Amino acid sequence: MGPEDLLLLVLMTALTIYALFGGADFGAGVWEFTSAGQSTEKERRHIYKAIGPVWEANHVWLIFVLVILMNGFPLAFAALSRALWVPLLLAMVGIVFRGASYAFRYYSRGSRTELKTWEALFAIASTATPFFLGASGGAIASGTLPIDANGAFRGDFLTGWMTPLAIFTGFYEVGLCAYLAAIFLAREAAAIDDPELAPLWRRRALSTGLWMGLLSASGLVVVWLEAPGLHAGFMSRGWPLVALSLLGGIGSLVELGRSNYLRASLAAATAVTAVVWGWGVAQYPLLVPPSIDKDMAKAPDNVLWMMLLVSTIGAGLLLPSLAYLFILFKSSQALEEVESTTRLKGGGESASHSTA
Amino acid sequence: MDGTAFLGAAAENLLPARLQMAVTLGAHIILASLGVGLPVLMLAAEWRYLRTGNRHWYVLTKRWSKAFAVMFPIGAVSGTVLSFELGLLWPEFMGRWGSVIGMPFTMEGFAFFLEAIFAGIYLYGWDRLSARAHWYIGWPIAIAGFFSAFFVVTANSWMNVPSGFQLVDGTLKNVDPLAAMFNPATGAQVTHMILAAYLVTGFVVAAFYARQLLKDAHNDYARRALSLSLWIALPLAPVQLIIGDWSAKVVAETQPVKLAAMEGLYETTAQAPLHLGGWPNDQAKQLDYAIALPGVLSWLAYGDPNAVVLGLEEFPPEEVPPVAIVHIAFQIMVAIGTAMVLLALWGGIAYVRKGSWPRSRAFLWAIWWMGPCSVAALEAGWIVTEVGRQPWIVQGYMKTAEAVTEAPGIWPVFAITIFIYLALGVATVLVLRHMASVPVEEVQDGS
Ligand code: HDD
Ligand code: HEM
Ligand code: HEM
Repeated sequence: MGPEDLLLLVLMTALTIYALFGGADFGAGVWEFTSAGQSTEKERRHIYKAIGPVWEANHVWLIFVLVILMNGFPLAFAALSRALWVPLLLAMVGIVFRGASYAFRYYSRGSRTELKTWEALFAIASTATPFFLGASGGAIASGTLPIDANGAFRGDFLTGWMTPLAIFTGFYEVGLCAYLAAIFLAREAAAIDDPELAPLWRRRALSTGLWMGLLSASGLVVVWLEAPGLHAGFMSRGWPLVALSLLGGIGSLVELGRSNYLRASLAAATAVTAVVWGWGVAQYPLLVPPSIDKDMAKAPDNVLWMMLLVSTIGAGLLLPSLAYLFILFKSSQALEEVESTTRLKGGGESASHSTA
Repeated sequence: MDGTAFLGAAAENLLPARLQMAVTLGAHIILASLGVGLPVLMLAAEWRYLRTGNRHWYVLTKRWSKAFAVMFPIGAVSGTVLSFELGLLWPEFMGRWGSVIGMPFTMEGFAFFLEAIFAGIYLYGWDRLSARAHWYIGWPIAIAGFFSAFFVVTANSWMNVPSGFQLVDGTLKNVDPLAAMFNPATGAQVTHMILAAYLVTGFVVAAFYARQLLKDAHNDYARRALSLSLWIALPLAPVQLIIGDWSAKVVAETQPVKLAAMEGLYETTAQAPLHLGGWPNDQAKQLDYAIALPGVLSWLAYGDPNAVVLGLEEFPPEEVPPVAIVHIAFQIMVAIGTAMVLLALWGGIAYVRKGSWPRSRAFLWAIWWMGPCSVAALEAGWIVTEVGRQPWIVQGYMKTAEAVTEAPGIWPVFAITIFIYLALGVATVLVLRHMASVPVEEVQDGS
């Protein structure tokens, strides 16, 4: 196990956390999108409040994924930047609109139409971004990107990435985000004992969960038909993780049924984690299948060791801070407190502005 | 790369890709500078509040932190765009040099993450932390902002003076990321940039309140805000002049062709003159309409009025950057920097004499103008650095033309980018203006 393997573990960890927390964040926006016509002001506020203090932090994980690739595996970074030109560009646009419209929506004191515009942009961008990021992942996983060993891309820049698995993964990712968000929002609604929101999100989580179960099963078929390399990896090495993700998914549905939201969140998180690592393990040691593996792409060993050192020191600073952030705002007790202060102030608009 | 087809696509892409990079960086640097500077102002105002208990300082802190809260995510988003673009637009650059230049970006990732976490706690934590704890929580934001800027600019200084590696038969050997980060250009460039960030924040904020005081001279609240922001901006102005001179000395040493372009110096000259103003005339190979101060350039660059300064004629024409752009941008920056120093003198003398910043309308007007001008100096300085390095992306090692992507459609992407950035810029200004239009009294009762 060389330094590049350790760094890949760091990379996978960042990717996993991004999939979980960034995913739930996107998912909240997906719900705004899909429930646009029907949801009440109160429901929307619940969504915005849940994202509030932590949304910025949740998205920095993506930057880690990018810089680790750029610094530790530059050849892979360059190759993927070429091959995934279109989906990455579109994801980038999505990220711009999502971040900006969220900030504007939160702080704007403008008219109703202005708020509506930001909400609509936020919802669309929150749905489009995970789609294109997921599609990028799927394009890599299908293992058919025409990339040379030196990182040159021989395919069509516009359409080369559009494998069936890529398209499927795009939709799958959006579904995952929505599922995670529904569970987390159900948990937050239950923590504040809200008689309307809690059952609503429980219902939404359950139905999305069922759909995701179906999608996951068909996903295995798509992989089997379209990505023989990945399929072989699943059969030989990845299968325990595939099994774990199925168990996690079923477990989360069962716990949702019992209204035990903390366990449901944990089970769903296990399922998502297993999907991400299942892909990684099945594909290892290839970074950009079929042509570029970790040894071809990696930076010199001393650079990798230094990155590991930086990551260790950085994590030593980050993790306690991050834990503090979440304890301050996301523990059940904190959620209750926020709710009661909001009620004291009479709810309404002051709810979203007084915390700012 | 398969021969001509690739070269064709890449050559067409060069111009739009550079414009795209320039526009997105030029927008990011404004937000980033405010991201570095505003936390310091917030901390200062909050400190005054803790010390005096005066409600005005509290309101000021809250308002500045709200402005920060709008700008910070937009800055973050524009930075995320950059990290995508480094790959999407310049895949050769990143693929080849990523292992050398990536380390500061990795470090910046952590610094930025810390900044985002503490910004979240600070902005949403007013009701959940004691007044003192809340102030302490603000410190990591300012410190991480400082280091963010530090790390990224080391990457840029490396592009100017590449170090920390060897090239043996076209392959990288002996990569030393620390030596790459701390190259000969790092000290001056990093210091100059971070000072610029504080200057820009100070002057932009001061300009806003100077404007309010011009409308209503009895606005006590604006008076305090102006005074505090001037305390950041004015003392740093002379320092920036000195560091700028240090920067020029480093450029003279490491990138003589850039220096010649900055000065519009076509011929190699002993006792080289410093040119004020002037329009580079590439046909006649001379600088028209300039005021020349003999010997001053030699002295500034090498500390000796008789030193020989290389002119553009010494360099192969294909390695000379666009002289007009570099020279004019440099003149703009230096002119504004000098104006800042004069403003600082004006303010400083009044302060020593009367114990407060000047209250005359003329001074307020000057401050009001300096707000946008400081931003212009910031942009002009980057244009000097980046355009002055052309045709190289990595000075002496890789031409910008070799680094650019072959992907299609960069012009349309650029057009769309302009559109999106303009729209977001307008929206940001509108939201900030909306915020600013809330009367101060209303802010006092807690919202
Ligand atoms: C508020 C902004 C501001 C002000 C007032 C000044 N500068 Fe500046 N300058 C910058 C903002 C800036 C910058 C945008 O931040 C740059 C671009 C790259 C860098 O590190 O700083 C820069 C670059 C830059 C460079 C190029 C460095 C390189 O290419 O490596 C030189 C030689 C100077 N400056 C010199 C000066 C001088 C002599 C000034 C005297 C008044 C001055 N600057 C004022
Ligand atoms: C660490 C910071 C920076 C990095 C890594 C960086 C990188 C780059 C790269 C890769 C290019 C394209 C290649 C080239 O034309 O040389 C470029 C161009 C450019 N950048 Fe920077 N840049 C940085 C900071 C900035 C900032 C803050 C500005 C702000 C205005 C800026 C202004 C420009 C301009 C104007 C160009 C176009 C140059 C030309 O077309 O001649 N750069 N930069
Ligand atoms: C506190 C101030 C700043 C903030 C909040 C900020 C924000 C960001 C963010 C979020 C990113 C993407 C994350 C990353 O790649 O690490 C980024 C990247 C970048 N920033 Fe800034 N930035 C700041 C200061 C600066 C300064 C001072 C410069 C230039 C002089 C700069 C130039 C760049 C460049 C070139 C990138 C792309 C390189 C990369 O991938 O890291 N930033 N910035």
